[in-house]
Amino acid sequence: MSGPGSTHPEEVPPTPPTPAFAHASEAELSRILDFYAVRWEYEPHVFPILWNTDGDVLESFAPDFYLPDLDLYVELTTLRQKLVRRKNRKLRRLRELYPGVRVKLLYARDFRALMLKYGRLALADELSGTPGQVTPDRPYGEMLAGPFGLAGVERGRTVDGPAVSGPPGSEPDRPDSDRAAAAPPRRRRRRSGRRTSVAARPEIAADAGPTER
Amino acid sequence: MTMPADLRADVDEILLTEEVIEARVRELGRAISEDYRDRSLTLVSVLKGSLPFMADLMRAIDRPVRIDLMEVSSYGGTATESSGLVRILKDLSASIAGEDVLLVEDIIDTGLTLNYLIRYLRGKNPASLRICTLLDKPARRLVEIPVDYTGFTIEDRFVVGYGLDYGEFYRNLRFVGVLRPEVYSGQG
Repeated sequence: MSGPGSTHPEEVPPTPPTPAFAHASEAELSRILDFYAVRWEYEPHVFPILWNTDGDVLESFAPDFYLPDLDLYVELTTLRQKLVRRKNRKLRRLRELYPGVRVKLLYARDFRALMLKYGRLALADELSGTPGQVTPDRPYGEMLAGPFGLAGVERGRTVDGPAVSGPPGSEPDRPDSDRAAAAPPRRRRRRSGRRTSVAARPEIAADAGPTER
Repeated sequence: MTMPADLRADVDEILLTEEVIEARVRELGRAISEDYRDRSLTLVSVLKGSLPFMADLMRAIDRPVRIDLMEVSSYGGTATESSGLVRILKDLSASIAGEDVLLVEDIIDTGLTLNYLIRYLRGKNPASLRICTLLDKPARRLVEIPVDYTGFTIEDRFVVGYGLDYGEFYRNLRFVGVLRPEVYSGQG
């Protein structure tokens, strides 16, 4: 609330730091969630899914998003369908070990359908697979100059650490996804969330762009 | 997109004929009339897609009904203006406080819009709030929302007609059909 003498009618919560998305499709999904006022956190938890006989974690899985209000994890992959076997296996393992954890896996075709729904189909190809990777050599800033002008998508941000190249159509392995992790599920540094106080106040506007179907 | 030359030619397959839709809407109307037999009801339609469904459904209900319309913005502005929040472009014309409200949707897929609308409408303190949708596409669901009345559960295909559009066209088709992929992939 505003105090006496305050120059602002109400206090605006500080903008949470924008996470460094590993893939442009994740940034796009975060904006969709923001648009519909769904709170999210980016890779907040790491779930160990494979241990050696000494109990050391050999493999873990960090879903891309956690939606706290829905208690739902969302993993987005824009890999071509035939290349998602590894991710499917990890997800299957996660569900076996953590049956109470709800995870929704969005495949490339789901992301494409989402883009079609929002009239941004051309963007789907630009943001999918290898073209959508954010690397030190190809930061978002450079992507802004692309044919679909990704202005507003985490300008100039790059992934933390070096990108790992994969086969055509693949995404880089997440540096943290397969790394040994602490006790399950490990809470990671929360990287972002929706400012719900803003979202709870719908605005009425005459020029707000496209409308629902 | 450019104006379609032939609406019907752009449809790959008719999923729901006019007759099938009509029969199902009558059934929904009967069920709703029965459930609200001792109460009046406010139907809230979300523009623009649910307009034909709303028009037919309200006439299939034989209880006293009020109607109201809402319109909300959709994600998908241009790249330079796509940030921001969903906006209420047209709000309810009258208070729904203490009213029994039935939200009438054309299609539910991700559930993101509906989730937003439910939160918004609950803030207006209706006595009850239920959901009626013509089409349900559960394969796309991100937000699980219990739906009280469903016309048809459909598979994961891009459909147009009976209010549903692509690029603002095809709404006036009297059936629900699957749009040819060439139309939206720019190859047509």
